[in-house]
Amino acid sequence: MVTARGKRRGAGRPMSRMLGLLCLVAALLGCAADVPREDLRFGLAAMPVTLDPRHATDAASARIIRLLYQRLVEFDEHAMPVPGIADWETPEPTRYRFNLQSPRPRFSNGAELAAADVVASYESVLDERTGSAHRISLENVAAVRAVGDDVVEFLLHRPDPLFPGRLTIGIMPRQLLQAGQQFNRSPVGSGPFEFVAWPADGELRLRRRADGVDFAFLAVSDPTVRVLKVLRGEIDMIQNDLPPELVSWLREREEVRVSAGSGSNFAYLGFNLRDPLTGQPELRRAIAHAIDREALIRYVLGDTARPAGGILPPEHWAGLGDSGVPYDPDEARRLLASIGAQGARIVYKTSTDPVRLRLATAIQRQLAEIGIDVDLRSYDWGTFYGDIKAGNFQMYSLSWVGVKLPEIYRYAFHSTALPPLGANRGFFVDTVADRLIERAEAAISTPAQIEPLHSLQRRLLEALPYVPLWYEDHVFVARSDIRGYQIAADGNYDSLVMVRRVGAGDA
Amino acid sequence: MIAFLLSRLTSALLVVFGVSVLVFLLIHAVPGDPVEVMLGETSQPADREELRRALGLDQPLPVQMAEYYRRLLDFDLGTSLYSRRPVAEILAERFPATLELAVAGLAVALLLALPLGVLAAMRRGTAWDNGAMMFSMLGVSIPNFLMGPLLILVFSLWLGWLPVSGRDGWGSLVLPAITLGTALAAILSRMIRATLLEALGEDYILTARAKGLPWYRVILRHALRNALLPVMTLLGLQLGALLAGTVITEIVFSWPGIGQLTIESIHRRDYPVVQACILLIAVSYVLVNALTDLAYGWLDPRVRLGGREGGER
Repeated sequence: MVTARGKRRGAGRPMSRMLGLLCLVAALLGCAADVPREDLRFGLAAMPVTLDPRHATDAASARIIRLLYQRLVEFDEHAMPVPGIADWETPEPTRYRFNLQSPRPRFSNGAELAAADVVASYESVLDERTGSAHRISLENVAAVRAVGDDVVEFLLHRPDPLFPGRLTIGIMPRQLLQAGQQFNRSPVGSGPFEFVAWPADGELRLRRRADGVDFAFLAVSDPTVRVLKVLRGEIDMIQNDLPPELVSWLREREEVRVSAGSGSNFAYLGFNLRDPLTGQPELRRAIAHAIDREALIRYVLGDTARPAGGILPPEHWAGLGDSGVPYDPDEARRLLASIGAQGARIVYKTSTDPVRLRLATAIQRQLAEIGIDVDLRSYDWGTFYGDIKAGNFQMYSLSWVGVKLPEIYRYAFHSTALPPLGANRGFFVDTVADRLIERAEAAISTPAQIEPLHSLQRRLLEALPYVPLWYEDHVFVARSDIRGYQIAADGNYDSLVMVRRVGAGDA
Repeated sequence: MIAFLLSRLTSALLVVFGVSVLVFLLIHAVPGDPVEVMLGETSQPADREELRRALGLDQPLPVQMAEYYRRLLDFDLGTSLYSRRPVAEILAERFPATLELAVAGLAVALLLALPLGVLAAMRRGTAWDNGAMMFSMLGVSIPNFLMGPLLILVFSLWLGWLPVSGRDGWGSLVLPAITLGTALAAILSRMIRATLLEALGEDYILTARAKGLPWYRVILRHALRNALLPVMTLLGLQLGALLAGTVITEIVFSWPGIGQLTIESIHRRDYPVVQACILLIAVSYVLVNALTDLAYGWLDPRVRLGGREGGER
């Protein structure tokens, strides 16, 4: 037995050596991770689906595509169309002439961008065989033609004062379009960045053309892990898709800087107006008065939102600037009593997103205060969204993202836009609203559209097919040595053009 | 042997076929429209219908199913509805990552379970035994979604030794492998302890000891070899589960594997990718289990695969 014990003790030594070796390997791996990086890394919740401007519909694709390609038209801070790589004139209401800037930009393959490239890009979008999701926004285009190398003309079927705002497709080289280049994985544009590689599904590499700095876009779906990667320096920057409690926690960390900027993503409660209960305007107004948005914004969203009064934010050229229905629980109770709906039971549908669910739970509690019993149901995104589009709901919450043009009102509220033709999912049918939408569309200029659009927004606040909640802020988190990023209202990444890493002692 | 292989192949094909039918029907029954995902919500009905027709999604389900199997026979897994890339190409990118993680997780599990199980069996009823079993209980009790962030917190953030997540060199494999391997190690170590205790009570062990063999030879040559046979079966099943069930670990560590791809594709209603992922998982499962059966027969000469001897004992 003594011998055996002695041997067992001896047998423990290799184990200790193995543990020591493991620690050494781990330490060496740790050292390797601390080697300073040359590139700048941006963390994303989801990777772009495609880098082809003709097919991009998701936010991540749209934001990366903006870095790779240039557009004829951009939007200013009031969402007014402004010249991108071309300014324009309107010789006739149905003819727009775009003059490319001089000197003309160059594609990342060295070729100079010419009018023929613009024509080829838009003809490709308009070609049914391309299957572009953006074709419908250009259905008013009768023809597009190049006049020399510097001028492009668009001929329209009918006048459209909003037309320049529709020309936001990234311009691709004509030769490559004709050669059938796969722009979704091998993009070539004239933007400030060029494509380097997409080595894995979760990693995309671009290079800034002005100074050759490499950027890596890394997908990390879990927000906590994304934040931990920033804290450890594996990622330099992240934007949005963070739970409010993580944002509050990050604000107190020295390694990072947190900034927030006003956004235009509009969150709302939607109702089924064909339902006997939610079809009653008094009930919808009672719900609007019962929701304490200030409290929700402060305590649930961590002060990363501002109250909303309609789809278009106040800074939008057509925005009304109203902050919506004020919190007034007494008025809410009075309205409920007036229609005998005390104790009413409403099914409220939302997605399984933790923040959405938390907000829905808080709203459920607030509505209980005035005597509405909310049956909260959360579903995975596909099921939830399918139900909403099918009109299978009483009440739901959603957001409109990236809205720039006021044509959204026809799409969401006109009586001809009931599903499946449009997104009037609550079956809102109102002749006054219809007339105002049509008046705005018939106006010959954007200033002339403002009055009917303001009247329309006031009408929507009266009828309340939606209860406006808030506009969500954009939150940007960066390592403390990162400088130059400016948050855009639509959350684009354009200011990566100016981002740099500063050394110790730099300002 | 040939009869055994043929019978395994037939049952494997039936299992894979059954799984593929079930997945096809279920994913098409779930609400949600892939065309909406592709075109965005502002698309027009005409465009949606056009795309639906182009993708064959306007066809009745039996027709779509027949088309799916026709292409499958040509080894064509189709094209992703979401990224519009060939599904085979996507799987070829993702599967090595899952395989790497599964093998590493299994290695960690064995590295932990073998010494713990042997120690617990040899020191039965002592503090060593209790400690080893408490560790295994902890391993089983802590779910991966908690274990992963805890490991990240300690080894990445506090100690700074290892990357937080991603698949970037061997260092990035350590934490996900430990996360995945710990729970399995807990199950394995308990099983090794139990089977080893049983083996240690056998007559041939007493004989070996009586012959004066050193303790480690008794354990390694005689007891452990026999004790590991049932563990092999468990390992086979668990490797199959690791290939299929690394979803949580892959998500926590942003590991670009099949599990994460399956979940993402289900959310996007990307039918071809979901079907291909499940098919791949089913094939892996069946293959690993068939190999385990073969290995079992090789390790234990008493087991005759499909032979009469086995039936008469």
